[in-house]
Amino acid sequence: MIPINLWNTHIIGKPFQYHQPETIEETIKLLSKLPNCKVMAGGTDLVPKMKQRLLEPEHVVNLKKISSLMGIKETSNGVWIGAATKLRAIEKSELVKEKIPLQYLATKTIGSVQIRNMGTIGGNVCNASPSADGALGLVAQDAIVHIAGSNGARDKPIAGFFKSPGVTGLAKDELVTGFTVPKIDNDTGYHFISIGRTALDISTISIAVTITKKNGRVSKARIALGSVAPTPIRLNAVEDYLLGKTLTDEVMKKAADMVSKGIRPITDIRATAAYRKEASKGMAMETLKIAWIKEGHR
Amino acid sequence: MSKHTSFNVLGKDTWRQDGIAKVTGREKYASDLSLPNVLYARLVKSPYPHARVKRIDTSKIVDPTIVTLTPDEVPDVIFCSRLVSIPSSTYKDWKVLSNKPRYVGEPVAAVAAESEEAAQQAAEAVEVDYEPLLATFDALESMRSGVEPIHSNIMLADDWIKVENNIACTLDIVEGDPEKGFKEADYIVEETYRTNRRYHTQLENKSVLVRPEPDGGVTVWSTTQTLHNTRILLHEIFGIPMGKIKIIKVPLGGSFGSSIQVNTPIPIAVALALKSQRPVKLSYTREEDLHDHASYQMIFKLKLGANKDGILTAGHLDAYLDIGAHQVQAYPLLGCVVGWWVSLYKLPHKSYMGKAVYTNKVPACAFRGYGNPQMTWVVETMMDTLAEKIGIDPLDFRLKNYIGEGDLFWGQGPTVQSIIQSCGVEEILSTGAELSGWYERPKAEDQTGRYRRGIGMGRGYHTSSAGAPVPGSVIDFGGAMLKLNEDGTFDYVSALMDHGGGTMDANAKIIAEELDVSYNMVNIVRADTSTTVYDVCTHASRGIYSGGGAALKVAGQVKEKIRAAAARSLDAYGHALKFRWDPERKQAVVYAEGVMGREITYEELAQEMRHKNLGTIATVDSYRQPACPPHFTGYFVEVEVDTWTGKVKLIRVIAGADIGTVINPKLAMGQIHGGFAQGWSMTINEDTPYDPVTGDLWNHGFMADYKLPTPLDLPDLEDFQVFFADTYEPTGPFGAKGIGEGALNPVAGAIANAIQNALGVKFYTLPITKDKILEVIREKEVAL
Repeated sequence: MIPINLWNTHIIGKPFQYHQPETIEETIKLLSKLPNCKVMAGGTDLVPKMKQRLLEPEHVVNLKKISSLMGIKETSNGVWIGAATKLRAIEKSELVKEKIPLQYLATKTIGSVQIRNMGTIGGNVCNASPSADGALGLVAQDAIVHIAGSNGARDKPIAGFFKSPGVTGLAKDELVTGFTVPKIDNDTGYHFISIGRTALDISTISIAVTITKKNGRVSKARIALGSVAPTPIRLNAVEDYLLGKTLTDEVMKKAADMVSKGIRPITDIRATAAYRKEASKGMAMETLKIAWIKEGHR
Repeated sequence: MSKHTSFNVLGKDTWRQDGIAKVTGREKYASDLSLPNVLYARLVKSPYPHARVKRIDTSKIVDPTIVTLTPDEVPDVIFCSRLVSIPSSTYKDWKVLSNKPRYVGEPVAAVAAESEEAAQQAAEAVEVDYEPLLATFDALESMRSGVEPIHSNIMLADDWIKVENNIACTLDIVEGDPEKGFKEADYIVEETYRTNRRYHTQLENKSVLVRPEPDGGVTVWSTTQTLHNTRILLHEIFGIPMGKIKIIKVPLGGSFGSSIQVNTPIPIAVALALKSQRPVKLSYTREEDLHDHASYQMIFKLKLGANKDGILTAGHLDAYLDIGAHQVQAYPLLGCVVGWWVSLYKLPHKSYMGKAVYTNKVPACAFRGYGNPQMTWVVETMMDTLAEKIGIDPLDFRLKNYIGEGDLFWGQGPTVQSIIQSCGVEEILSTGAELSGWYERPKAEDQTGRYRRGIGMGRGYHTSSAGAPVPGSVIDFGGAMLKLNEDGTFDYVSALMDHGGGTMDANAKIIAEELDVSYNMVNIVRADTSTTVYDVCTHASRGIYSGGGAALKVAGQVKEKIRAAAARSLDAYGHALKFRWDPERKQAVVYAEGVMGREITYEELAQEMRHKNLGTIATVDSYRQPACPPHFTGYFVEVEVDTWTGKVKLIRVIAGADIGTVINPKLAMGQIHGGFAQGWSMTINEDTPYDPVTGDLWNHGFMADYKLPTPLDLPDLEDFQVFFADTYEPTGPFGAKGIGEGALNPVAGAIANAIQNALGVKFYTLPITKDKILEVIREKEVAL
């Protein structure tokens, strides 16, 4: 029996307590003491889920007053993006376009301009949707997740951050504060594409690729796909296959077949599993080709 | 007859009278309205696709101020929410609240409270015990013996009738000798097609505000296409004298046919208002709206025969219409489907077997084109197939067989027939062929590689109204009131509804043209049922042809009254007087040509009549149009198919339309752009599949999983060319016909043919999603 009488997108049907801390420390305290609590950044995922009664938190902690969670900065080992930075700010950032252009590509097609004006990168990641393109960009670039908690701060590679749809490795009293994304160097080509039912849609499949070349051969390859498994995934087998190779059509075709075989898609309302298996091949071909041809990001 | 030169007002782009209110957000729609002391209503809806309500327990509601409504408390009246047919053709199976819900989302109870939040909590506290019944989600399966009956007995007019095998109603027609016709055919094609079931996605959700009046009546502000039918139905259900039911015209935030019937929430809100004796507002959420209406899914088995000269000899159509859980207008639709089919191309011999079938799905209702987009997709797809078999160009094949000027036109089904008096089909097809490079279009077999190009064409039409020289089973007439104000302007009062396309502005322009005034001197009055004469409904692309016909009729009568009054005032012969617009005085002038001083402006005349107590110049009248002239359209579409992903990209669109006299070119083009966008989405994207396990819509009514194209999915404006055929409809107001539905009808056929031409394969189900394209490509092993 479906809960049809709970749904009312006019309002948030279940009352909750609203909190608006101004520091990370204050936030951590709230998270550790409040039961059934959800963190809100842009709200573009959280609010619809509350309206649909998929989530019924008793407490909502809004991060919008915490300025230390926002911003984009160049650091010694990459680019730091604050967790509560708006997707639109990332898309508009010259620093992002210059140093981590794959993140720019993965961000600019998320939702619509209105969604990107509200939504944040931290929210995109912590919502842990397999179709989160912002998260996929980070996965493809081996970003580091910065986490604050009652027991102090810790850093974690993004690869192991996602557990299952909607579930991350964050403890109850932990908060993602930001990400560090390694710069894409001049030897590295990259590409990102996604496919949806319309231009403004959650991705049916998305793929992000980087290819680092040395002496005309692949020295490092990273292949990440979204919406084809319970979490954004990397295909290590395909990455390993490409190592040391020159990307001929034949090699790319083989790699694309491996991509198709390596994913674990389901049939959902957006597409069939068979479609995802088939289309991922073509999408892998396209991204590999462009990443191979693109000499660095300039 | 050429049309452009002789008009003062028509044919020019003019501002809408409600334009500023709309673009500044100051327009108030039904869902924006409120009243002091209002109660907010929420529905208790069935979570089962088919069930019996055993018990409704409202005792868990703690707030004593909550008003509840259960099926026992609503009038025991079976009704049809759509009042367009004469009683003997009206099937009834609705109640205000159902104790046997037949689709997920069907309202079984309602509550009203001081706030939406309180109402929501109350609705959640209502406990309903159900006895779930087996449900069916497919029309063909639903007809099988042994399937749980969805309705056992329904009413036709005032008689109970038994429903057999879930078949709601049927219509069979034979003309000529189909057997003989097929014998004469050198080529016969027979295929089965299945359409999608689309949600209207009108901008505004269904909404209603009801105020109970001290005299026992009600005042209603609601989303509707028909003020008067809403009043008639509320009278039927609640027995309130019609004079005490007032339906007020509220701007409509789009409809596409979804408010052609009296919306489900209206009688529920009326019942709550009568019980509580307080104003009640019931605004659907989007997910409720998605659980309220959809287009008709149709399964067609079509057989066409043609001889080697490319002349059609016979046709047979089996049509199964999945109407969902209730009849809105299934019977007239059976007539229209055969009408849409046989009025595209001449078929000397034809037979039709139509069945409307109940399923446990959201009730289907008219959706822009009322089955015509579905039917035309099938016919236009098959016309290409048949042309290929014969070895004749598909466009030439169409030109040999189309129904045009002088031919009998079935319009809105077998009881609505008239002769076509204006036709731009040849102009549309020849101009479109030239602009699109039709005869040099790419061929599937010549292409290799990832991207394939295809050009497809589709043509079609829609009736403008359901008028005819003699009465049939479909009601179609309207009316208008027009009065001259004391400053020389006019008040135009009509029950017509503007769905957003500019209907009322067009009719104001028709009046202005007739009365020689500037278009903004005709004030469009927002009226209600007590101040307007009957108008059936703004549907069937009749707003301009019928509504404008009524406007022109009263304008002509007012003009004659002005003439008579001016003749008296000027001491002149009325029949000798002339009319002109004077741009300096911003007044229309009545004058005796060549006689100095014998002239009077409308303002002077109205003032003089007031001062001398001679009365107001005004007229009110009804109008029945003598025909239902088709407006013709044709689309030439170029697409590029990505064989790696199955994505189809639009490259170029050329659209031609014969709408008679064009009243407002930009708005008319807007209809074509909008119709195309809707058709594009119908062809490649939209559907409302059901989850057989829960019986609910797979997307649960959430828009995140009902995608519509945005401008990013459509071609740039410079790649979308629109042209109008030079025609004049003798029975239309100043030669005008409709456009609303014809703008959509042939689009799916044109796009499907383009995709098919690119890939060299045929598709028999809509939508042609990227999944299906990729599947077919792999099956056919189209080389990468």
